[in-house]
Amino acid sequence: MALKGFTRNFKPLELLTDEEVEAIHRGTLEILWATGVRFESEWALDFFEKNDCKVDRDERRVRFPQGLVEECMRQCPGSFHIKGRGPNNDLVLGGNTLYFKQSAGMETISLDSYEPRPPTKVEYSDYVRVLDALPNLHLYAPYPYFGFEGVPPVMRIPEGVALKTKYSCKPQLTGYTRGCEIFNIKMAQAVGMEIMGSIMASPPLTWFEDSIWEARRMIEAGFPVRTVDGDVPGATAPVTYAGSVISSNAEHISMMVLIQLLNPGHRFMVAHANFPQNMKSGAPAFGDIGASIGNVIFNQVWRRYGIPFGNDSTGYVYGKVMDYQTGYEKAIGGVLSAISGSNVTGFHGGVSSELSAHPVQAILDDDVAGMIGRFLEGEKVDDETLAVDLIKEVGPIPGYFLNKQHTRKWWKLEQFMPKAADRLTYPEWMATGKKSCLDYAKERMEEILATHKPIPLTPGQEEEIERILEEARTYYREKGLISEEEMAIYRESMKSPN
Amino acid sequence: MSIETLEELKKAITEYDREKTISLARQAIQERIDPIKALDAMTVAIRQVGEAFGKEELWLPELVGAADAMSAATPIIEEEIKRVGAKKESVGSVVIGTVYGDIHSIGKTMVATLLSAEGFSVHDLGINVAAEGFVEAVKKYKADILAMSALMTTTAPEQRKVTETLREEGLSDRVKIMVGGAAVTQEFAYSIGADGYAPTAPGAVKLARSLIGK
Repeated sequence: MALKGFTRNFKPLELLTDEEVEAIHRGTLEILWATGVRFESEWALDFFEKNDCKVDRDERRVRFPQGLVEECMRQCPGSFHIKGRGPNNDLVLGGNTLYFKQSAGMETISLDSYEPRPPTKVEYSDYVRVLDALPNLHLYAPYPYFGFEGVPPVMRIPEGVALKTKYSCKPQLTGYTRGCEIFNIKMAQAVGMEIMGSIMASPPLTWFEDSIWEARRMIEAGFPVRTVDGDVPGATAPVTYAGSVISSNAEHISMMVLIQLLNPGHRFMVAHANFPQNMKSGAPAFGDIGASIGNVIFNQVWRRYGIPFGNDSTGYVYGKVMDYQTGYEKAIGGVLSAISGSNVTGFHGGVSSELSAHPVQAILDDDVAGMIGRFLEGEKVDDETLAVDLIKEVGPIPGYFLNKQHTRKWWKLEQFMPKAADRLTYPEWMATGKKSCLDYAKERMEEILATHKPIPLTPGQEEEIERILEEARTYYREKGLISEEEMAIYRESMKSPN
Repeated sequence: MSIETLEELKKAITEYDREKTISLARQAIQERIDPIKALDAMTVAIRQVGEAFGKEELWLPELVGAADAMSAATPIIEEEIKRVGAKKESVGSVVIGTVYGDIHSIGKTMVATLLSAEGFSVHDLGINVAAEGFVEAVKKYKADILAMSALMTTTAPEQRKVTETLREEGLSDRVKIMVGGAAVTQEFAYSIGADGYAPTAPGAVKLARSLIGK
């Protein structure tokens, strides 16, 4: 059985006319054929050459004929299933369904100073447990954090996959570095779940070898693949959002062709992660309304393609603290992504762009996600919800509705109740210490950590996960990617109970 | 048989079934069940709902649904108490109403029901009650507490008029004044010389008990 997610019950928001969408599609096809996409992989160049693409070996560019592109698009499933751990945690991606995933943060932050620092292993697993408990978080992004204290860089992703597998049944997107997808895949197979490879383009118009390996290994394992663009309009893509979507499209579609040629009908989706260039600092402009314009255009175009899509930029904000700015940057981006048809919207946990994340922020974000999800469900209209007979029965004052069976039946379906918001009357608020949503979110985190028990792995599965991690450690030590000094520190961190 | 009927009566209230509660109250009388016991059973049921409301297991629609069922059946039982000459123990006497110019009744009715459930003798004057009406009722029922509700900022000042009238009549030392409603605050309550304010219906019950030292 699948996690419910949210169903959009109305026409999605559209910024463009059909002719304008067509113009973006034509522009994409033109770029794919006239300019092509760079593939930093001899294997990929050979493969494309054998499959009727025009390959320029000197520039490592592949040019894609329109017929091939459109044929491969037709082979992509319009929706697909991904299996979580256990019986009730699958997702069905595509159509009118929206799921939320968390955004990544390199490190955790102090709730007093908001300064980032590396999380401990316990903090990493606590974050995973909090995310497991949140009802509106359906899918894990490749990280909550980029590893924890003491873990060598090459082991950060496999250790993260292991902790997420241990402390949650929700499906995962996984990252890759130095071939770690080999071990990620083995861990997923060991517990009978699927992971979705999340592979990043290198804009403009380039794919590096690690990404190509991740795609190939995921296809070989029979696991779905998601491409992410990461364009910065004004820097790595045209500053105009229409132009940047063409550039992003060419990146996604070039990898989509490779995937569909390798395995026709393979489960595939795309994610737009665009951040306009901040023209003062040179950094990407997180939480910028331009990212939402780009997302809404991208979503409209990919809906026309009939291929599942989502937005990642929605989870990243400029806000450095859990405050008004962080709230509005996330909420505006999340709403626009959802109502324009996203199937997966990155949302929970991130603070200060990709620098940091925290479970308290994820708890706050979960309420916003729930509000967005409730809006998406819209309003059912039938005799019962129109309530004409009831209005007649109650009549004018002194009649009222609060005591009616109709109210008792419908109110929880109609209203969304946030779990960490301040909804007290003013006197109650005064009497209970003038708490804010942040105070409530901190309390909720403590409550979740004290009471939430994720479904455990079997002892056999735990042993197998540990065996695979040890295999990865040996593999990277033999390759010289974990030094003895790093290994000594790493061994110490492994003694942590979580 | 009578135990079963009383259990059914409690169940009807906790299931917010107004018609069934009325019918079971009548059945209890036909079965010659002690009306005080019937009232106690209803009180147990409404307290149960109130406690669940306090723990956020139930919400206003359920609380009001239960209160509605109870307040529909209470006059039937009270009439029987009067008829058989039984004596109902009372925690205290309360006169309650919504002030003049204000016709909102939900909060006031909820407070009245919960006060009844707690053992108070409640005299609900309804809505749009003039200052004179409150004063007369305080005298008539020898009220320990006068509870007034005002939903709107435009009608909250009417509560001041009532407290002043009570003072002029020399009743302000005899009766404790409670105020409530969306337009009222603790500060406002003090400013008009009220003895207490509560923001919620269960809070109003606690306040009533503390005002009369019970």
